[in-house]
Amino acid sequence: MKNQSMRINKILVCCGPGCLSNDSLDIYEALKNKIESDKPYISIETTVKATGCHGFCEIGPLIKFLPLDFFYCNVKVSDVEEIYQKTIKNGEIIERLLYHDQNSNQKIKSPEEAGFYKGQKKIALRNVGEIDPLSIDDYMKRGGYKALKKALLKSTTEQIISEVEESGLRGRGGAGFPTGFKWRQCAQMQNFPKYIICNGDEGDPGAFMDRSILEGDPHSIIEGMVIGAYAVDSHSGFMYIRDEYFLAIKNMTKALEQARNYGYLGQDILGSGYDFDIQIVRGGGAFVCGESTALMASIEGRVGEPRAKYIRSVEKGLWDKPTVLNNVETWANIPVIINEGASRFKSIGTAQSPGTKVFSLVGKVKNTGLIEVPMGMTLRQIIYDIGGGIALNKKFKAVQTGGPSGGCIPEQLLDLKVDFDSLDKAGSMMGSGGMIVMDETTCMVDVAKYYLAFLSEESCGKCVPCREGIRRILVILEDICNGRAQDEDLDLLIEICETVQATALCGLGKTAPNPVITTIKYFKDEYIAHIRDKRCPAGVCKELTIYSIDKDKCKSCGLCAKNCPSSAIKQEQSKIFTIDQTKCTKCGACVDICNFHAVKIGGALACR
Amino acid sequence: MENQQDFQYTRQISQQYPQDKRFLLAILQDIQKEYNYLPRESLYMVQEYMDIPLAKLYSMATFYKALSLKPKGRYIIKVCDGTACHIRASQTLTDEISKILKIAPGQTTSDGRFSLETVNCLGSCAAAPVIVVNDRFYGKVTPSMVKTIIDEYGGIYS
Amino acid sequence: MQIIIDKVKCEAKLGETLLTIARRNNIHIPTLCHSDALAGQGNCRMCMVEVSEGKTKKMVASCIYPVTKSIEVITNSETLTKMRKTLVMLLSARVPHNNTILKLRQEYNLPPVTRFKSDDEEECILCGLCTRACDEMGISAISTVNRGINKKVSTPFEEPSTVCIGCGACAHVCPTGAIKIEDIGEERIIWEKSFELLRCSNCGKPFITRVGFEYIKNKINTEIETVCENCRKDAITKKLRDIYGF
Ligand SMILES: Cc1cc2nc3c(=O)[nH]c(=O)nc-3n(C[C@H](O)[C@H](O)[C@H](O)COP(=O)(O)O)c2cc1C
Ligand code: SF4
Ligand code: FES
Repeated sequence: MKNQSMRINKILVCCGPGCLSNDSLDIYEALKNKIESDKPYISIETTVKATGCHGFCEIGPLIKFLPLDFFYCNVKVSDVEEIYQKTIKNGEIIERLLYHDQNSNQKIKSPEEAGFYKGQKKIALRNVGEIDPLSIDDYMKRGGYKALKKALLKSTTEQIISEVEESGLRGRGGAGFPTGFKWRQCAQMQNFPKYIICNGDEGDPGAFMDRSILEGDPHSIIEGMVIGAYAVDSHSGFMYIRDEYFLAIKNMTKALEQARNYGYLGQDILGSGYDFDIQIVRGGGAFVCGESTALMASIEGRVGEPRAKYIRSVEKGLWDKPTVLNNVETWANIPVIINEGASRFKSIGTAQSPGTKVFSLVGKVKNTGLIEVPMGMTLRQIIYDIGGGIALNKKFKAVQTGGPSGGCIPEQLLDLKVDFDSLDKAGSMMGSGGMIVMDETTCMVDVAKYYLAFLSEESCGKCVPCREGIRRILVILEDICNGRAQDEDLDLLIEICETVQATALCGLGKTAPNPVITTIKYFKDEYIAHIRDKRCPAGVCKELTIYSIDKDKCKSCGLCAKNCPSSAIKQEQSKIFTIDQTKCTKCGACVDICNFHAVKIGGALACR
Repeated sequence: MENQQDFQYTRQISQQYPQDKRFLLAILQDIQKEYNYLPRESLYMVQEYMDIPLAKLYSMATFYKALSLKPKGRYIIKVCDGTACHIRASQTLTDEISKILKIAPGQTTSDGRFSLETVNCLGSCAAAPVIVVNDRFYGKVTPSMVKTIIDEYGGIYS
Repeated sequence: MQIIIDKVKCEAKLGETLLTIARRNNIHIPTLCHSDALAGQGNCRMCMVEVSEGKTKKMVASCIYPVTKSIEVITNSETLTKMRKTLVMLLSARVPHNNTILKLRQEYNLPPVTRFKSDDEEECILCGLCTRACDEMGISAISTVNRGINKKVSTPFEEPSTVCIGCGACAHVCPTGAIKIEDIGEERIIWEKSFELLRCSNCGKPFITRVGFEYIKNKINTEIETVCENCRKDAITKKLRDIYGF
């Protein structure tokens, strides 16, 4: 027994965004205190670390034990005592805290056995969840800053650029622009100073990939940026991080300090005579500031309005100087490419999209969380093998990729390979990596409306097609959802969408119609049902939905009446429960609570 | 007298930064954090310190969502309307809170206690739908839980 | 360098905008947010044209697209007309009673837009010229406010500006006449602020606000006469006549 206990020497408590919201920090503190206070009496050399996201957010908070490599899920603060006594002191596994895989109906100990982790391949997330992000030593123990040494001390700038070019790495921020090519263009400019920027704005409202890296492995980004800066001969870098990500900003600030102290950043890096430093800029809370030129305007202290990119940022970017801007995940890939070489990197993924991609897999899927998979994996593999299929065993309807700029992909395209070009071809795009799974209870018109409403607030409002176009598209979508639209509206919708796509000034406007265009393309019948039959098949659009209680199924338990926040459910003399339509706000609480599926969602409202 | 103090903090915040336009957003964000909004007097002070036209400050203040010209409530209820929360019916939560507090998203109750906001993705999609009151998280919220949550903060005074 | 616009060969200097070249060659491209004095807006997108470079074809805003190599340009294809029509339709929905847009709508043979609820009072299409003009004057009394579909132009806090000099540059550049400028006797009202007007010492017509006059005087740091534009021109012509005797 005692031997075993010696073997657990590291405990990794996930403090990623999902687990944090379930008090994982308290768990970490409690475990730490326990071990600290007992240290003088027992001789265990166990360290507890608060790490970045382990990925499997669905079943958080998660704790991983090394080197035995098993993990606990859904841990509560009240479990700490037992974990300490049994697992840490005696090496005993607490069965109850192991993950129960519903699909295989098995208790799972090691992450490798879980379907969720099986198909994954970690490059950008290589350290996230494995190290204490506040410890540069942890990072270095896992090979950190080796690439920097190789680049600065043993390579020419040409070699670095060639290696990145050769690797075929494409920008992970959305458009998939070849990173090496971008660097080369900037390196050729003879206009100084030059700037390096890391785009950590992550405005996509369903994504937290960049956040996880910023919080969980800040040094990998710093290392990538120093290498890039050296390659293009820049001495000043900026990290634009979303203001809401206060933990990311905190960890990054600390990491930058450490890097400076260790001589990886600042003056005379590694004694090479090369100077480079990075400043953090907090974003102002605007989706459009993720767009490169708007981001630069924001750093300059102006309103975040994009400019036309007929002259590229590598020539005239920040303060009109040559600038390389890359996404968080792109930067995090760089050290690996330098360390292991382009050919190793290219052997992963597809020919046109080498490497991996991080996604936040969320929505109506069983295993929500943060994943990293080789490019070219199919949507089906991601959703069913990793995601475990659709939650509550409902029917899959669509998967949305690319956030507000992307589109909805239907069931018949589930075998689509996930890479930049295939997604583009399907009318969606890679985007930064949000992947939202939708089931039969999701209304596709509502989804389109949701994105357009988002964009109507987030567009900078500068150019006519985007501002006026989105505004009118939204009006039409609202009318469709309210049952006030006519057949002709569909044509008008398409007409406006096409014009906005073709004429808007920046990427936001150009891609804004995508959610509408793809839903019309793949789910036209839902539009028709709303417009002609005044019916929302998914039961989402309130104006087109009526809730009623099925007399035959109702067991008169009264649970629904108790849970109705609007007191709309009353018992008649005949004991049957009915819903008062004048009071019902269609919140769906009764549907969710009824154990007998007695609440019916019906369509068809009289046309107004 | 409170205004006097306002000036004091704003001055302190501004002077931490060089008089360079690129720190404008950072200064405004710090002021926002200090007061929970951008008081008019503060904007006048920043205008003077940075030597930037007031119109530019006003433009920034109304453009960036992190900045607000209106005071916010003591308890800020943020309903996540990220995509994952949206498709797990976060709208019904917003509706329910609106109904109870009688304010629309973006507004503050007349007694200055509650503000209701919808925000984009809080990164806790697994617990969708999520709401946050000040810094406290509530996951897998249902409409019937809303009243209890508001009651935790003293509920509405009738 | 030579480029081809609508099959016409045109001389072009490196970095010149397509619009400049087209105008020089009397090729019409519609614009709303462009002003020669305040170029580089790119907001209205009416001036979009098709540019072919070898096999690739793209749509660009001619008012800001700099020519860097020989290209072929089409300014009036069917697609372009269709796009412009939609843009005009969208603008008409925004400013249903504005004369500039009304004319444009008739030019494109479009019916009045009835599908959308409009603000009958609205006249501004947010081209951005006014705020640019005010910035160029060195005043910046107005700016854009908000973002997205709620964007508009206003003075800070939508109150009469403390710095506005009433020069009227904003109203002067406005393509739709959305900015109201009212001169009554010796008073000018603009942006809800009232100014005293100075009269021309020659012809006696009110022509500049007192604050505006002082501002310019201070800026160029020399005494200037209170003479209006017309009279000054007349004076110069007269002088020329005196000298050359024509
Ligand atoms: C509206 C809009 C929002 C964007 N948001 C982001 C973002 O949040 N993060 C990001 O990295 N890139 C974002 N991008 C893409 C950037 O403009 C840019 O292409 C990217 O950061 C370049 O880095 P990469 O080449 O490494 O991908 C956005 C683009 C648009 C048009
Ligand atoms: S497309 Fe939209 S976000 Fe981009 S410049 Fe135009 S208005 Fe702004
Ligand atoms: S004139 Fe070119 S966009 Fe308005």
